[in-house]
Amino acid sequence: MVQLSAMKYILNKIIRFLPVFLAVLFFSEQAMATQMHGGIEGVVVHQMAHIVFAGAMALLIYWLRQHGLVVNPGWRQIQYAAVFFLLWNINAFIVHFLEEQVDILDMAQIEPWQLRLQAQPAFEWVAWLYYVVKLDHLLCVPAMICLYSGLKRLLESPASESRPGKMEGS
Amino acid sequence: MIITNLPIWIVDVAGSAAMIVLSLMCLRLALRLKRLDQSNVIWTYLAWVCYALCLFAFSRGAGHILKQVLVMAGRVNIWESIRPVSGSINTLSFMVVSSVTLFFHRTWIIYRDIQNDKLALQSLSDELLFLNRHLEHLVAERSKEVAVSERKYRRIFEVSKDMIAVTGRDGIMLELNPEGYEMLGLKRTERLNGKRFKDFFSEETDWERIEKMLENKGFITNIEIELKRSDGARMGSLVSGSYDRGLPVQEETIHFIVKDIEQRRMMEKQMAQADKLASIGQLSAGIAHEINNPLGVILGYSQLLLRNEKTETDRYNDLKTIEKHVKNCKSIVEDLLNFARSSKPEIKTTRINEAADDVLNFILHHSKLDGIDIIRNYDEEAPPMLLDEKKIRQVLINLLMNAGHAVGKKGRISLSTEYIKQDNKIAIKVADTGYGIEEKNLTRIFDPFFTTKPTGEGTGLGLSVSYGIVKSHGGEIIVESKPGTGTLFTVLLPVVSP
Repeated sequence: MVQLSAMKYILNKIIRFLPVFLAVLFFSEQAMATQMHGGIEGVVVHQMAHIVFAGAMALLIYWLRQHGLVVNPGWRQIQYAAVFFLLWNINAFIVHFLEEQVDILDMAQIEPWQLRLQAQPAFEWVAWLYYVVKLDHLLCVPAMICLYSGLKRLLESPASESRPGKMEGS
Repeated sequence: MIITNLPIWIVDVAGSAAMIVLSLMCLRLALRLKRLDQSNVIWTYLAWVCYALCLFAFSRGAGHILKQVLVMAGRVNIWESIRPVSGSINTLSFMVVSSVTLFFHRTWIIYRDIQNDKLALQSLSDELLFLNRHLEHLVAERSKEVAVSERKYRRIFEVSKDMIAVTGRDGIMLELNPEGYEMLGLKRTERLNGKRFKDFFSEETDWERIEKMLENKGFITNIEIELKRSDGARMGSLVSGSYDRGLPVQEETIHFIVKDIEQRRMMEKQMAQADKLASIGQLSAGIAHEINNPLGVILGYSQLLLRNEKTETDRYNDLKTIEKHVKNCKSIVEDLLNFARSSKPEIKTTRINEAADDVLNFILHHSKLDGIDIIRNYDEEAPPMLLDEKKIRQVLINLLMNAGHAVGKKGRISLSTEYIKQDNKIAIKVADTGYGIEEKNLTRIFDPFFTTKPTGEGTGLGLSVSYGIVKSHGGEIIVESKPGTGTLFTVLLPVVSP
């Protein structure tokens, strides 16, 4: 009950300040008193978020194994979800990295359904790599499927699934 | 190279839509789990993860779909203005998912602790319920066990043949078993309040010694002391004891076990006395034999000389004096031999009551016993028995003469016999109300030549000879005496039927 009240309070606050936030975001002029955050900064922050996300998933896998939860099918599925998310983060990191390598790879949409990928000589494989890693949903969708499957197993036998396994020794 | 972007477009749009749908489905499952057990912190945690993933899926999926639609519609400029916001929200959603995920370890530990506490509480609750349901039965069972145990130890306390005493630290007696009452000469109805254990010690230093040892070691074992009964009698005892520190709320007590060793000490004394007399007897017999032969020669020659001597001459008188003294010497030697039991008894059937009565009459005729009450008490059941009557008479003469001497001019002498069927023994008792025998002399009265009479009035062989005669009949002679009260001699003789 306390958690629900807290959530309602936070949502109310967000809704109240949302118009102001959007106005500042889309119609703001240059403010000389503050530092500018244009250009590459956004990409760096985004890449860092991917690293943190990947690290969190690696830790989750480690903790699930440390507490011996992976002996239960539900938690094992959640572990697989964490593995897919970890791989997806690495994949996304590579995509963003390659998009910034304009000296090596030039990419442009020339027709509605056609792409031009122009790689420097000896870097043709980078073009192919970029094309493959662009299909990143092939990793994050299985991650969500595994999570769904894990939660379903937990729901089927919640008592046994929430019991620690042998690895924890307690 | 120019390549179709259709696969990328399809995977991007379909994947984004799938992500949104799947994140909602996951959230639904997580909320269902949470509803199953509202207090389960793990299910709550999973619900928060799913909320975060929904935010992630929506921000990313909606952004991607919008981008593809706007690019396909040729509205790239619109997408370019939305793109930074979409990317930022997307970045934020990653951080939210990561942050929530990082709480897993702590959440799990809290959950595990709650579960353990829950189990412990459940176990306690079960135990309490069991106790509540079976309390009456359990109490009854425990009470029964306690009662049985109490009875067992109470019986040990009550039937013990040693004294068991419980005292406080200050030595005040708190509890005493029946044997203790008996040993200390107290009445069972008497209350112990205020009585101190040390008051029953003959020597106060013994108590101080015991107190010091208890203080140092916490226990004592087999300390030999002398206890003083309430009637004044002394009793040799062995004391063991230990401190009972008890429970914090209880007073400290000392538990004593006291063993009566008076009987053993008496036995030891008697055995030592018997050993001593046996040694003296051997020595006496040796000396008597050696003296007897020269005395015989002296007596023979003096009588030979007397035969040829005229009476009324000085020489005759001298020889008579020699003969008289030699005869005295021979009598003493004979007594010594009797003491040493070297002469053979002449056994014949004797009626002990008649023999005793004859001896008493003989004493009454030949001694001045006026003013003394003579009490005779003969057991009519006393059977005839084989004895050296002459020697037993001699024993009785000695004892009665001693009694007469002890009583003096006024008092009482009693002579009695008793047939002890179970032991098949005759007890001849000579008691007087004379001045008694001092304790220090009691162990010496059977020694040859020991006498308390003035020089010339007694040889000190009477009791020694009596002892020897009684022993040669396989009997015992026991003396009990209290100075100022009187003496009792008991001659115990085994009945040998004719």
